[in-house]
Amino acid sequence: MQIGWIQLVEFRNYRTLEFSPSSHLNLLTGPNAQGKTNLLEALGFLLTGRSFRTSRLSEVPRWEATSSSVAGEICRAEGGRTVRRMIRKLDNGGAQASGDTCEWARVIAFGWQDLDIVTGAPGARRNFIDGFAGRLYPGHLATLLRYRQILARRNHVLQSRELDAEAQLEPWDEQLVSVGMELIGRRRKAAAMLQTELGRVFPALSGVRQKVEIRYRTALAEATEAAEMLAALVRLRRVELRRGVSLVGPHRDDLAIELDGIDVRSFGSRGQQRLIALALRLAEVLPVTEAAGSTPVLLLDDALSELDARVRQNVFREIDGAEQVFLTSPEALPARRAACWTVRAGAVLREGDADVARGSVAQA
Amino acid sequence: MAYYPEPVARLIDALQRLPGIGPKTAQRLTFYMLKRPPDEVRELGDALLAVKEKITYCRTCFNVTDEDPCRLCSDPRRDEHVICVVEEPNDLLAMERTGEYRGRYHVLLGALSPLDGIGPDDLKIRELLARLEGRETTEVILATNPNVEGEATALYLAKLLRPLAVRITRIARGLPVGGDLEYADQVTLSKALEGRREIS
Ligand SMILES: Nc1ncnc2c1ncn2[C@@H]1O[C@H](COP(=O)(O)OP(=O)(O)O)[C@@H](O)[C@H]1O
Ligand SMILES: [Mg+2]
Ligand SMILES: [Zn+2]
Repeated sequence: MQIGWIQLVEFRNYRTLEFSPSSHLNLLTGPNAQGKTNLLEALGFLLTGRSFRTSRLSEVPRWEATSSSVAGEICRAEGGRTVRRMIRKLDNGGAQASGDTCEWARVIAFGWQDLDIVTGAPGARRNFIDGFAGRLYPGHLATLLRYRQILARRNHVLQSRELDAEAQLEPWDEQLVSVGMELIGRRRKAAAMLQTELGRVFPALSGVRQKVEIRYRTALAEATEAAEMLAALVRLRRVELRRGVSLVGPHRDDLAIELDGIDVRSFGSRGQQRLIALALRLAEVLPVTEAAGSTPVLLLDDALSELDARVRQNVFREIDGAEQVFLTSPEALPARRAACWTVRAGAVLREGDADVARGSVAQA
Repeated sequence: MAYYPEPVARLIDALQRLPGIGPKTAQRLTFYMLKRPPDEVRELGDALLAVKEKITYCRTCFNVTDEDPCRLCSDPRRDEHVICVVEEPNDLLAMERTGEYRGRYHVLLGALSPLDGIGPDDLKIRELLARLEGRETTEVILATNPNVEGEATALYLAKLLRPLAVRITRIARGLPVGGDLEYADQVTLSKALEGRREIS
């Protein structure tokens, strides 16, 4: 799929912007703090109604404004759709998003925060696998939300210190294990697909043949049945009641990512860590394309920094097989078949052609 | 700093305590009321008092009613072998709107909700057990909401009622997950009722 055009109003540092990108590779270059990442965020928001860089949508409306709007056309072989979305700031400091949804739209975004997948705490890897599973199975994020609700209530019962806490736990245990095993099942399938693709993508980027392994790590070992998770809960009942927290389930799990048998967390060089994170994102492309029935739009924020020239060429070769790609960079990049845009102070200009996209400059 | 005259502040304060009404709305309603003719305001005041004075809970099913037992409990044409358990009176109304259900009801007046400190003793569960004792009830339909609290309540009740010789069913999840029974459309709701299943 691809974005035919997008229009922003009061979005981050863009007062207004109309942008009709190329259907293939778009290079967005310009100095720092000009709006490159903001534009990627807007493209992602148009497609999914979410921001890949923040969960606080109240940051998004331009500082002097109370709301943002984004409109645009999303196209695929079966036809296009015009989508409009709004973000309105609320009195209580939050924000409310509203507007059209496009069920088949998919985005894969890479940004600085993705380094956490490799080097961060288990939570970052759980978010990563859940994001991927959500692109494969549309119900996954709703299931995750339900799981978190059950978990919060179950922990509350564990902490209540009431005499009949054990009896009160039962209906929460039952829901925790059925919803929990549903999540684990989808995460395992997602991890298996990722491993297969990463085994191809990583060597293609690094130029080095290495054995790639991704394992889903859970205290439940190989368990696949809700009854097995329930048994684990029963075994841990005393400890859980004492500590007041739920000790088994998908909220405690992790992914082990290994190259030639070595856990990537122990890799020293930042360049290498970033390359692994980028490879993980690019490994999502094929499975997501197959599951969604159409290619995802790629948003790659500063994906080439800290990579050497040879690896950069490999990245270009890899994304050449994708459909629509947006790649930001502080400096010009030697890419063939790319539409080159300059981003400066909330305006996007086609290189050597000032008329293609015009945005009014936001006041500093 | 200027203050509102006491009666104005008192009404704003009272309105603010209603669910879904914040300070701004409470102010707007108060000043709207000041502008209305006295009769209209008196009618509202009377209606508020009447609902509290004339309406009680049915001591059998705990639906809201102006007579005890309520019309549903005293209607001889309703099948007394089947009891449909719901969380709130408005869920009962939603069920009635389907026109499909001819049995009786039991309103729990809530759902298990640890975050709000609501446990089994805070719901009309003991009263449900008392109703089932020695009567010829053959089926209990658990029609609590499909959200996590409603599901926990259904699971809790299923376990509790299992030793009794009654069929226990749970309405099917044709309902939007995370939604409220009250807002479900009639088609969805009658589908859910049709597809109810045994709960073990
Ligand atoms: N809500 C907002 N309103 C106005 N400006 C914003 C808002 N959020 C971020 N900015 C500004 O946007 C700029 C950063 O843009 P960004 O897209 O991250 O830059 P880069 O081109 O380096 O990727 C900063 O100058 C920041 O102050
Ligand atoms: Mg940036
Ligand atoms: Zn009654």
